[in-house]
Amino acid sequence: MSLLKRWRKPGRSTARKVAGVLALTVAMLPLAGGELAAETIKAEWWHAMRGRLTPIVEEMIANFNAGQDKYEIVGVLKGNYEETAAAMVAAYRVNEHPTLVQTSERAFLTMYNSGAIVPVPELMAREGYDIDWDNFIAPVAGFYLVDGKPAAMPFNSSTPIFWYNADNFEAAGFPDGPAETWQEVEKQLYAIKEQGISECPMSLPNDFVWSLIENYSAIHDQEFGTKANGFGGLDTEFTFNQSPVIVAQLERLQKWMNDGVLHIAGQGLNPEALFISGDCSTITASTAMHAAVESGAQFDWGATFMPHEEGMEPMNSTIGGGALWVLQNKSEEEYEAIAAFLNFVASPETQAWWSEQTGYVPITNAAYDMMKGEGYFEAHPTREIAIVQLNRGTPSDNSRGFRFGNHNQIFAITNEEIQGVWTGQSTPQQALDNSAARGNEVLRQFERLNAGG
Amino acid sequence: MPAADRTATTGRGAPGRPFFFGIGRLLKLDGRRSASGLKKAHFTQPWFAAGLLAPQLLILLFFFFIPSYKALSLAFVQIDPFGGRVLFVGFDNFRQLFGSAQYRYSAAFTLIFTAVVSIGTLLIALVFAFATDFVIRGRGLYKSVILLPYAIAPVISGVLWAFLFNPAVGPLAQLMHALGLEWDPNRRPMDAQILIIVAAIWKQICYNYIFLVASLLGVPQSLLEAATLDGARPIRRFFTVSLPLVMPVVFFLMVMNFIYALFETFGIVDAVTRGGPNGATNILVYKVFQDGFVLLDLGSSAAQSVVLMIVAVSFTVLQFRAIERKVNYQV
Repeated sequence: MSLLKRWRKPGRSTARKVAGVLALTVAMLPLAGGELAAETIKAEWWHAMRGRLTPIVEEMIANFNAGQDKYEIVGVLKGNYEETAAAMVAAYRVNEHPTLVQTSERAFLTMYNSGAIVPVPELMAREGYDIDWDNFIAPVAGFYLVDGKPAAMPFNSSTPIFWYNADNFEAAGFPDGPAETWQEVEKQLYAIKEQGISECPMSLPNDFVWSLIENYSAIHDQEFGTKANGFGGLDTEFTFNQSPVIVAQLERLQKWMNDGVLHIAGQGLNPEALFISGDCSTITASTAMHAAVESGAQFDWGATFMPHEEGMEPMNSTIGGGALWVLQNKSEEEYEAIAAFLNFVASPETQAWWSEQTGYVPITNAAYDMMKGEGYFEAHPTREIAIVQLNRGTPSDNSRGFRFGNHNQIFAITNEEIQGVWTGQSTPQQALDNSAARGNEVLRQFERLNAGG
Repeated sequence: MPAADRTATTGRGAPGRPFFFGIGRLLKLDGRRSASGLKKAHFTQPWFAAGLLAPQLLILLFFFFIPSYKALSLAFVQIDPFGGRVLFVGFDNFRQLFGSAQYRYSAAFTLIFTAVVSIGTLLIALVFAFATDFVIRGRGLYKSVILLPYAIAPVISGVLWAFLFNPAVGPLAQLMHALGLEWDPNRRPMDAQILIIVAAIWKQICYNYIFLVASLLGVPQSLLEAATLDGARPIRRFFTVSLPLVMPVVFFLMVMNFIYALFETFGIVDAVTRGGPNGATNILVYKVFQDGFVLLDLGSSAAQSVVLMIVAVSFTVLQFRAIERKVNYQV
C-alpha cells in the first residue's frame, strides 16, 4: 500500500515509474526462470542400502532422473533397516515423511497393518501404469502377495547362501569346497582349524537368527510358528522351540563356538568384513554380499547352497531383503513421480541391472530370463545359487516364509536369548524356550492392537 | 580531551547508579545483614522475578515438561508406531515391565553401574587433581592428556574401546591374553560390564578433574601453609584442609556423575556392547532407546522412561537431603 501511494505522489515522472516497474520485472526474472526450471516434481525415497550398495542405489536413481525430465527422485540413506524404519515412523507422526520408504521383509505385516500405506497396485492402477503382478518369481510372490497382489513393491530380495574361502578349503584338502551336509561341513571346518590354516573357520553373522535359525527351519521343513508361520492369521504362536532339529542346530553352533570354530566378531568389527579380509574361512550371508566380495576379496572365493542335515531333503530357503512402501498423505504430484519411478524399478532392464550390480536375486521371471539369455549365470555361477535355492522343491507351510507382527522385535529377542547360549548362561533348549515365550507376548500384543483391522 | 572524558563518565554513571541500586533494593540485599544468608533475599515485585525466570522456565517447558507429559500419556497405552491405533491398557505396561526378568536385571545392573561409575570417576579425578601440584615438569601436558577424552565424541570413543578390547583383533585384548588373562566381552558378561564401566569412567574423569583442580586452586594458601607449619604432610593436608573446603564441588560432581551414568552413557553402550551379551550391559536408558526407537514398542518405552524419571528425581532429592547437610558452603 505505502509503495503504491508513494508512486502516486505528484512530482514523480512517468519515466521513473516505468523505470521502477522495469527494475522490478528484471529483479523478478531469475525467480520466474527458477520456477520454470524447477517444474520437475520432486519426491523423496528413504532407503537403507549401506556400504557397497549405496553408490549402486544412487546410480539407479540418477539413471531414472536422467532418463526423463518430469520427475526427480531424491534418495536419502537413513542407516540400516531399523534406523530407516524408526526415522520414517517418527517423520510420519509429524507429517514429514517421504513418499517412498524401503523396509526389511521382517516389517511386512507391521507395515501392511499400519494404515499408513497406499497399496502399490492401487497407486499404479490410478496413475495408469500396467504392471504384471503375476510375473514375480514364485518365492517373491509367495511372500509378498496378498490375494494375488503385493501391498509393497518387492525390491531387493535375497536369501542366505554359504560363502567360503576356496584357498583355505584347498589347503585343507577339500578342492571341491564345502560339502553339502552340516555333518560333512563340520569335519571340514574342524580340519581347517586343526591344520592351522585359519584361526577362524567360520564367522558368526550379525543376522545369524535369519540365516542359521529361521532359514534353517524353512530348509528343513520345521514348523516355526502355528498357522503356517503366521500366514494363516494373527493368532499364530511360536513352536520352533519344540523342534528337536532346531534345538540340535543350536547345540551344534554352541559346540563349534566352544571349540573355537565359530567366532563372534564383536562390536566395532563386521563379521562379513572378516570373511572378505580372509580372516575367517566361511560365513552364511545374504547373496547381496556379492557386491562387497567381488570388489574386496583378495583370494579365491566361492559360494554354495546352505548346508542341510544328512538324510533330510532340503526345501527352499526364504526371502529376505526389503520392499518399497508408498506412504499416505503426500501430494498428487509426488504420487505421480513415485509411480513413474516404481514403473522404472519394475522394468526387467532395471531389475536385471540391479541384480547384476548387487547380487540380489532378479525378482521377476522376465528379468531372470533376460539375465539367462545374456549368459550371465554361466559367467557368474555364484549369482544363481540364491535363486535356485529359493525355488528348490515345492514350498510347504513351513518354508514359504514368516509373517509375524513386529517380527523385528522378535528377531531382537531371539538374538538376545541365544547370546545366553554363547555366554553359557542358558542351554540351547532354554534359550529357544525363552525366545518363544517372549516372542509370543509380542505376537499377542500385536494381535490385540490389530484385532479391529 | 580530559574534560570530554569526564562528561562521558558521568553521563554513563548517572543513570547507571540508580539502576544498580534498584536491583539491590529489589533483591533486598543488604551487606550489613549478610548473616541472614542468600536464601532470605527475595524480590519485592513478583513480575520482575517472573521475567528473569521466564527464559529458563520456557526451556524447561519445552525440554522437560512437554516431553514428560508425552511420556506419561504414552505409558498407559499400547500404540501402533504410526499413531493410528491407540489402546488404553492402564497399568499393563508397568505390570509387564516389573514382571520381566530382563527388566529387573537391567535395573539391578544400572544401579551397580551408576554407583561404580559416579564414585569411581570422582575418586580417580581426585587423585589426579591432588597430583597436579606435584607434577613439576610438563604440567601443561599432564593437564591436556587428562582433558583430552572430553573432546572426543562418546560414540567415537566407544568404537575405540570396542576395537582395543576386541578379543580377535584388539591390541589391548591380545596383551591381556598374552598375560594369561581370559578376556572376551562377547561371551563373558562380566568382561563386557567391566569394559563399559571403564569406558564410562574414562570419559567422565576430565569433567570432574576440571572442577576439582579449579576448586583446589581456591583453597587459601595461608591455611595450607599453617597446616604445613603444624607438621601436616601433603596427604594429611589434603584430607583435613583441602577436601573439606572443596566439599561443595565434590557434592555437585556426585550429582552430575549420577546423572551422567544414568543417562549419558547410552552412546558408549551403543558403540561398545549394544547392551549384550545376553542383555548383560543393557542399562535402563539404553533399553528405553532400544525398545522405543529401534523396536518401536512405544508404550513400554514410555513406561520405562517414566520409571527412570521417578528414579532420577527421587535419587537426586535423596542426595540433596542426605549429603547436602554435611556440605558447608561457608568458605
